[in-house]
Formats: sequence, structure tokens, C-alpha cells
Amino acid sequence: MKLAGNDMLIQSLINEGVEYIFGYPGGAALHIYDSIFKQKEMQHILVRHEQGATHAADGYARATGKPGVVMVTSGPGATNAITGIATAFMDSIPMIVISGQVQSHLIGTDAFQETDMIGISRPIVKHSFTVDHQKNIPQIVKEAFHIATSGRQGPVVIDIPKDITNPDDLFDYEYPSEINIRSYNPPIEPELSQAERVVNAIMDSKKPVIYAGGGTISSNASDELRELNSYIDVPVTNTLMGLGVYPATDERFLGMLGMHGTYQANMAMHNADLILAIGARFDDRITNTPEKFAPKAKIVHFDVDHSSVSKIIEADIAVFGQVKNSLQLINSIIKERLDELDKDKFDNWHKQIAEWKKLHGLNHQMYKEESDANPILPQAAVQHIYHASHGKAFVTSDVGQHQMFAAQYYHFDEPRKWINSGGLGTMGFGLPSAMGVKLAYPDEEVICITGEGSIQMCIQELSTCSQYKLPIKIFNINNLSLGMVKQWQDMNYEGRHSSISYEDSLPDFKSLVESYGHIGIKITKNSDLKAGIEKAFAIKDKLVFVDIYVDPNEHVYPMLVAPNGSLKDMWLSKGSKT
Amino acid sequence: MIERQLTLIMENKPGALARVVGLFHQRGYNIDSLHVDPIEDFTRYKFIEDELNIKFASHEVSRLIIKTTVEDSLMRQILRQINKLIEVIAVSDDESTYLKGILRDENLL
Repeated sequence: MKLAGNDMLIQSLINEGVEYIFGYPGGAALHIYDSIFKQKEMQHILVRHEQGATHAADGYARATGKPGVVMVTSGPGATNAITGIATAFMDSIPMIVISGQVQSHLIGTDAFQETDMIGISRPIVKHSFTVDHQKNIPQIVKEAFHIATSGRQGPVVIDIPKDITNPDDLFDYEYPSEINIRSYNPPIEPELSQAERVVNAIMDSKKPVIYAGGGTISSNASDELRELNSYIDVPVTNTLMGLGVYPATDERFLGMLGMHGTYQANMAMHNADLILAIGARFDDRITNTPEKFAPKAKIVHFDVDHSSVSKIIEADIAVFGQVKNSLQLINSIIKERLDELDKDKFDNWHKQIAEWKKLHGLNHQMYKEESDANPILPQAAVQHIYHASHGKAFVTSDVGQHQMFAAQYYHFDEPRKWINSGGLGTMGFGLPSAMGVKLAYPDEEVICITGEGSIQMCIQELSTCSQYKLPIKIFNINNLSLGMVKQWQDMNYEGRHSSISYEDSLPDFKSLVESYGHIGIKITKNSDLKAGIEKAFAIKDKLVFVDIYVDPNEHVYPMLVAPNGSLKDMWLSKGSKT
Repeated sequence: MIERQLTLIMENKPGALARVVGLFHQRGYNIDSLHVDPIEDFTRYKFIEDELNIKFASHEVSRLIIKTTVEDSLMRQILRQINKLIEVIAVSDDESTYLKGILRDENLL
């Protein structure tokens, strides 16, 4: 079969089983967009800003496990995609970004809409390709998908000059069925000797904790993790990225750990004698001061990325490989040795954790405070959203206080349901990522819990939701200010609220969303909260934007004491710490 | 802090060197000196071909020699970060060698 470069590129994506391309056309991508027009297998989703395209593809990838595909033009199209690529890179999300480039003979001449996309994106991609000839397109696309979806996953950029996609130059096309990159060989199977050392460490421990992160979700190892704990029955905490990988409603679940983790999760980590770190990377929001992290614990680290292990916290036992394969091996060994495991020895540990939970666990009784004499608490809003959606929705989020409240009070029982920018902390992520999730799962409830600051960073995508009829539920936790910044200013800058307020210039969100053809609901009183949220969920065929005015003075707690604190040093409420 | 010498074997492709240099900057490591040349005679590195079961043609891969001054504790992290670059085939310092997907504790390069 002979094809032109533009058709080759699109045919390669079809061969990879791509369903959706999120993108925005422009000069250098016009040949490619002509090929998109001529085919029926994939749908192109026209966003309103390239950042929206990357987040939508990212949301699609997080919810499905399949790579998200982005198409942008050169110059500003490419640079607008950068924030979304960095977001995917920090959270190890598989993504393919195809950027148009000026014609080969113009590269380096400061041509119209020319930018060095490969150079600009280099520190935030897993790998990138420049297409130098049409005949290499199938091979490059195949390699790009392989690299994006294997090992530690991540975004891959393919930069393609306009002349390479010229419809008049035909070349032989054959899509490779297999790929082998000789310089790339990520570990898959763990070493048996290391796995046996892990099992021995579990047998010897009295205060073990499982600390599971986003890598466990990427590796689709949730079932294996649950199976492991069905044998050993120990406390489990999840990182922000790992929420849902272990059921939040399970008795052994401690909640999230770290900066805004629960008291019991942070105390359990600090006092543990064995930490099983599974697909987690000990980042600074988890460890607090690394030298003071879990002083008594032996560290076991499961990871697919060699460079993650012993980067911040030295591992005593490292298990390299796909987390799924590693846990399968551990499970098979433990099953054989179950009679050696005396689970009663964990009893005191479980008792201690129950006491911590009772002492300072998250307050789930906030409903009692709900009278119109009090402002709406953001935590209460999230709890109502949780109950009204039966805890089963996909929830995307932005960045700030609302994100932490969602992570604390929406209890995820399944992986891939909680979609948020953990590593980069990208405001503007919530709405476009919800679009990607809704396209992947049109029959499921998809919620975006956002704030009035974050939503305005990608609010133009309300128009995209209208065009493609995406009935997402958006809950805007509106505290009239940049709440998390304000909290830090309260705690560290004697309440000098520098540049965090825009109270008099916020739009009337209800009217705004209605102008896009959506439904707006405004809630200002506790007595309207439950009914208003339930009303939103009763509307099935429209996007509903619920603007909830909450207490502007509320802080997120617990909060780790920094600098120089350990995991046991936490603020528990305003002015009170451990 | 002492000066260390790293040797890298990587694909001789456009942009590959930029990834290595970029990594040093991005992770906050300093390069004291850098030497790159394509490898004509691969005899000296035959163990890589044997270990990874591949055959290199002349000029197909390059050798980089980088001198850097870092803390001991950071050296392993630098090696692992370099090893993660898709086009790097092997990297070694005075003590250990990393071949694609394989971590070893002996100096081979």
C-alpha cells in the first residue's frame, strides 16, 4: 500500500487502536487534519485551547489505561501543550503528542509559527522524535506508543515538519506488528531472591504498613495488592496518586498520607517497623524531612524505574519490575508459607492505629453543624457529593484546598476513578480531564470538583462540552479566594493576604454556564446544599455547574509541620498541633 | 566531593547528546568536561554486544566521556537517570556499570 505522509500518520494511529484525538488545527498541521477529515475510525475532539487537549487526553489515559493522543500545530499550538505534557510526565501518564512543524527547509530560519518543540519539551517527555522522512512514520509511531505505554509510562512527542505530511508524495506503508528498541528494555519480571527477602521481612515484622501509589494503578495491580492484603491483613495507606487502588471503605485503610494525609496514616508510617512502598516514589509531600522519615522502618521498594529507588529514601530491599508481576510473585510465595505467618502479632498494631483514628481521625460528623447560621463547610459539600453519587463516580479535580478535601472525603473504592494532577499540581486540569473521562465512559457519572480559581484557568472548555454534549457535573467549591495560598499566608505570613482575592470581579458562574447552554445551580446556604447537589445528579443529559459558596476561612487539616518536621508533626486544626 | 569520570555508550542519533547534557542541567549536576566520538572499532565493547545480544555497525553508536564533580551519594542516582534515557545503551563510572535494563556492580567500560 502506498500512502502520503499525512495518511500514513493517521493510518498508524488507527492501527494503534486510537479512538479519540484531542487537538486544535493550524497551518503546519493542515495536511494531517485533511487526513483526519477523510477517515471514520477515530473521532477528533476540537478543544478551545491546546492545554485543554493535553489534559483531556490525560484524563482519558488515566481513566482507561490507554494512551491519550493529542494533535497540535507548530509554534503557539506546541507551546500551549507544554503544561499538559509536563502534567502527564510528572504523573507518569501515557500520552502521544503529535506537533506539526514548519517545513524542513525552513527549520532554523525563525519561520512563521516556528518553535523548537523537541528542545522545549525535552525535560518533560519520556522521549521525543523528529520525523525526517515519510518512510519512517510507521516505525516512529510504533516506537512512540511502545515507549509511552511500557516501563514507567509517560508522554512522547512526535514533531513532524509540514513537507513530510505533503499529500502528493506517496511511499510504501506497512505498520510493524512488533517492535524491539535495542537500547530500551524496562524491567518486567522481579528477581525471585528479592521477592523472598520481602516475604521474610513481612514474616519478621510487627508494625508493617503498605504504602501504595500511582505506579500500582499504572501497572493495573490493584487486584494483586488486595490479594496480598487478604493474606497478610496489614494497614494500607495510599498516596494522592494512589487513591482507589485499595478500597477506602476497607477496615484496614488508613486514608491518604503526607502533607494533608490523615493523622493515623502519618503516625502509622512514622512508627512502622516495615514499609512496603509499592509504585510510590517518596516525594517531598510524603516524606516531610527525609532524614526524619520513618526512623524505625525497614524500607521495601517496588518500582519499575531504577532511578526512583533510593533517590530520596534509601531502600533496604528493592524489587525492580512491573509492580503487577512483582506482587504476583510475592503472593505466590506467601500463599505457600501462610502457616508461618502469625497474624495475631499485628493485633497491638491494629489497636494502636484504631486509637489514633479515634483521637484525630477525619471528622465525618460535619452534617451536625449544618444550620444556616453557619457557612457551608467545603468538607460537608464533598461528603454530600460522595453520598449523592454513591461513591461510584469518576472524580476529576483541580489544585488547591478543594482538591485536598476531595481526596480526604470522597472515598474511592476502585482505581482509575480519582483523576488529579498530583506531581505538577496543575490548576485548570479538572474540567478538560473530565471531558476525556466522559468520552471514554459516556454511561458513567463523571464529576469535576474544582474551585473558582482553578476552573477559570481552562473555563473555555465549557464550549467544548457543549459541542460534544458531555453531561459532566461540575462542583465549584467557591471560597472567593485562592484558598490554599491564603491558608499558607495565614499560617506563615501573619495573615498578609497578598494577591489571593478577586471577590468583586468573579463572574456569575450560573449565568456564564447558561450562556454556553449548560445548567447552573447556585448554593449559598446549608439548607440548600443537599437538595441542590441531588438536583444536579438528577439531571442526566446536561452539563450541570453547581456553584457552592463555602466558608472562605476554612483550612485543610491535618497539615504537616514544615520545615524540619517529621511525619508525626502535624497541624490538626487552627493553632493546634501534635 | 571528588571528580568522577563517566563513560556512556549511546545511539549516534541527532538530539541524543542534548538529552544527556540536558539531564545534567535539569537534575542540578555540573559537567566539568565532555568528549564525544562515534565508535569505529567496537572490539573493546564486545561484551555489550554479547550481553544484549545485538551487533553494532561502525559509527552507529557514540562514546561519551563526561567528568563531573559530585557527592558520592549522588553518583548512583546520576547513573540511573542517564541509564533511563531511551538512547543510552550502557553507562559506567569507576565502580559500577548499567546496561539497558540490567544493574551491575562492576566497572566494565
